Amino acid sequence: MAEAAPSLTTEESLVLADLKKNLTHGTNLNDKNAVAMPVAAMNALLGVVQRSSANTMMGLQDELKEASQEILDWNSREGNRSNIALASGCELFLRYSTRTFLELTEFKECRAAILERGQRFAGISLAARDKIARAGHGFIRDGQIVLTHGWSRVVAALLLKAAETKHFSLYILEGRPDASGAKAAEYYSKAGIPTTVILDSAMGYVMESVDSVFIGAEGVVENGGIVNKIGTYALSICARAHDKPVYVAAESYKFARLYPLNQKDLPPTKSVSLKFIDTTTEDNTFIKMPPEIKVDHSPGDYTPAKFITLLFTDLGVLTPSAVSDELIRLYQ
Amino acid sequence: KDTHAFSSWNKPIVQVLCIATMEESSTLDVSGSPVEKKTKKEKPSNLVIPPKKPKLTKAERRAQQEHQRAAKAQRQTQQANTSGGKAQGQEENSPSTVSNNSQGQNQASATAPIPKADVKTVTDGKNDPKEISVLSHLPPFRDPKDYPDQLLGVQLQSFSVKEKLHPEILKTGRAYATGKLCHGNPRCRAMLKSMDAAIQDHVPDDDVDNKKDYRHEWLNKVLKPSFQFFTEDCRPHSVGMGNAFTFLKSAIGALDRDMELQKAKGLLSESIDAYIQERIDYADLAIAKHASEKIVDGDVILTYGNSEAVRAVLVEAAKTKQFRVIVCDARPLLTGKDLLLELRQSNNLDCTYIYLNALSFVMKDVTKVFLGADALMSDGSVFGLLGTACVALAAQSVPVLVCSETYKISNRVQLEAITNNELGNPAHVLEGPLGDNLRVIALTYDLTPASFVSGIITEMGILPPTSVAVLSMEMNPQQ
Repeated sequence: MAEAAPSLTTEESLVLADLKKNLTHGTNLNDKNAVAMPVAAMNALLGVVQRSSANTMMGLQDELKEASQEILDWNSREGNRSNIALASGCELFLRYSTRTFLELTEFKECRAAILERGQRFAGISLAARDKIARAGHGFIRDGQIVLTHGWSRVVAALLLKAAETKHFSLYILEGRPDASGAKAAEYYSKAGIPTTVILDSAMGYVMESVDSVFIGAEGVVENGGIVNKIGTYALSICARAHDKPVYVAAESYKFARLYPLNQKDLPPTKSVSLKFIDTTTEDNTFIKMPPEIKVDHSPGDYTPAKFITLLFTDLGVLTPSAVSDELIRLYQ
Repeated sequence: KDTHAFSSWNKPIVQVLCIATMEESSTLDVSGSPVEKKTKKEKPSNLVIPPKKPKLTKAERRAQQEHQRAAKAQRQTQQANTSGGKAQGQEENSPSTVSNNSQGQNQASATAPIPKADVKTVTDGKNDPKEISVLSHLPPFRDPKDYPDQLLGVQLQSFSVKEKLHPEILKTGRAYATGKLCHGNPRCRAMLKSMDAAIQDHVPDDDVDNKKDYRHEWLNKVLKPSFQFFTEDCRPHSVGMGNAFTFLKSAIGALDRDMELQKAKGLLSESIDAYIQERIDYADLAIAKHASEKIVDGDVILTYGNSEAVRAVLVEAAKTKQFRVIVCDARPLLTGKDLLLELRQSNNLDCTYIYLNALSFVMKDVTKVFLGADALMSDGSVFGLLGTACVALAAQSVPVLVCSETYKISNRVQLEAITNNELGNPAHVLEGPLGDNLRVIALTYDLTPASFVSGIITEMGILPPTSVAVLSMEMNPQQ
């Protein structure tokens, strides 16, 4: 865990301390109770509300915004992905908690009500994973072959729930450059699901044998599209070409107020360096790249709504066009 | 002599039905079992029972219908041949027939009134060379030059409306009809401002008992007649104008009945100004802010026609970004020229100007398309200037963004462009004398399907076309 920046005030470092306390997950994939970053952030923000000395709604909102920004800055310093989900989660928490309390004239009463709503929102988000698993597992049937990409705890919960009652097998894309798929394969295999790991570039080759594609999302954007690990866009196009359904499992706090028009229209991400290795030979040295060769890598890509069949969320099973309706209601 | 085509066509069938029910009802009750015949009551002595028409067989009925239909068709050709002149002698004595309203009125008044739309129930395009059957539900175009007296202010009255109209209303109506005010936003502003002026100058009749509600006065004596004048005598209203009028009616309804008159007038004036400011002017600024975030350096933006919202977007984005604009334009209105002048003179943007036929040539350079709209339908399709759909279709490889204020959202759905459109001046399309077999269509609007649109930019943000209905419910809860 990184240290907080040296020149912090007492209040700011309290927020981060709370956040780190709430994050029980590091790289421990197998912890089923692992808390997602946005949920941990929401609990940290609850602490801000409890400790707040503001006397007006606007004052409290400002404090919450500052704390959110601090959490976001810390997250991007850490180099973690899923900044979109974190930003949208904090924003939604803010809006949900501080929704108009015009009937309550006393701010102290407001504060108690905000705290209660905030706790409810954090609770909903924590329980979201189970709700999604219950909503989505019925879409897998006996004898099917499911393809997945990237590591998502929501998708994992869904697949494990399906495995309790059905027999199906799983194809996982290896997930370069962080080998997330290869790392997750052991997890699924231990849970009793027959698992096959394939190269990312083999997604077209296997698509005809596959029955459905299940993926998670780092963020769900306003037009119903998703932002996810690089390769998701290609996978969806491939699935569409073969008429296979693409199902996305995402909590509702991941709904972000972004409207990307194309791949370049996404928020900028920290660039990651790539290393290349020929794994077919015994020689395990990395390939040397001359400096004039540019290596371009974006960790995420944007999949437009028309390639997505359904979204499993804690608000229910939604079509992509319903995402914007929900966002309008949430942000009104 | 019965010349009412409609009823004579129906008569034999109606007659037969009556006979059938009379026979059956006398012998059967509801459950179908026969009952005894009841004794007939004494009929009043002055009741005249017409003799029963003979019951015709099916073949005889059909022959009668064909005969009547042929006779009617013959009458229609006669009318078409002599239309424009004085009515024939045989029509003078007829009661108002469905297809001859205007002719009858011609006889009645000395000056030519504005001819009403001919509503033909059985339309046979072959008989009338000037009419196109698929567009017959639309009011035909009326050239303002044909009725100068009414519109040029010599006659301070309209024929479709009884009440006396305020001079501002007449002036605005004239601007609508002559095309001086032609785009959605200016028309709506002018309508609201002229109605405001009419309300301010309205002096109520002497109301000694204080029984009259000033709000009803305003609605029924000032506003509704004005709106009817605009729509029926000048030019059909746009969706935005309709929504603004609905707002005006509800704003008046919200006023207190017992409020002092001057205060009420002041409040209403403020409401109208607030509506114009918030829903039109500030909405354009908000749209500009949202949309200019989507424009990046090096973009090539294509736009069509002259939309206030798109103009605001380009002007705002030009302050911080480097891009160039391709202005696409089309006959007959050539509205893009005004946009081009504004962009060049006031903002010094790098512009290209093309006609619609050069669209596929420039499309390979285009990176984004911004289009305006006259109305947004509930299913996300866009009702806009004729040609918008072509541009959206040709631009499917790039993002197509429609910029529109939310007051233009209609709660209707239109499936294609013809059900609700406006016929323009055919002379704009093709001038000169046309032969008997040549018909000219000059439509004003077309419909872009929701699937061609990547996003709709409103003052509430960018949203997908499928969410227009939800936005409409959020923005206009009273509707």
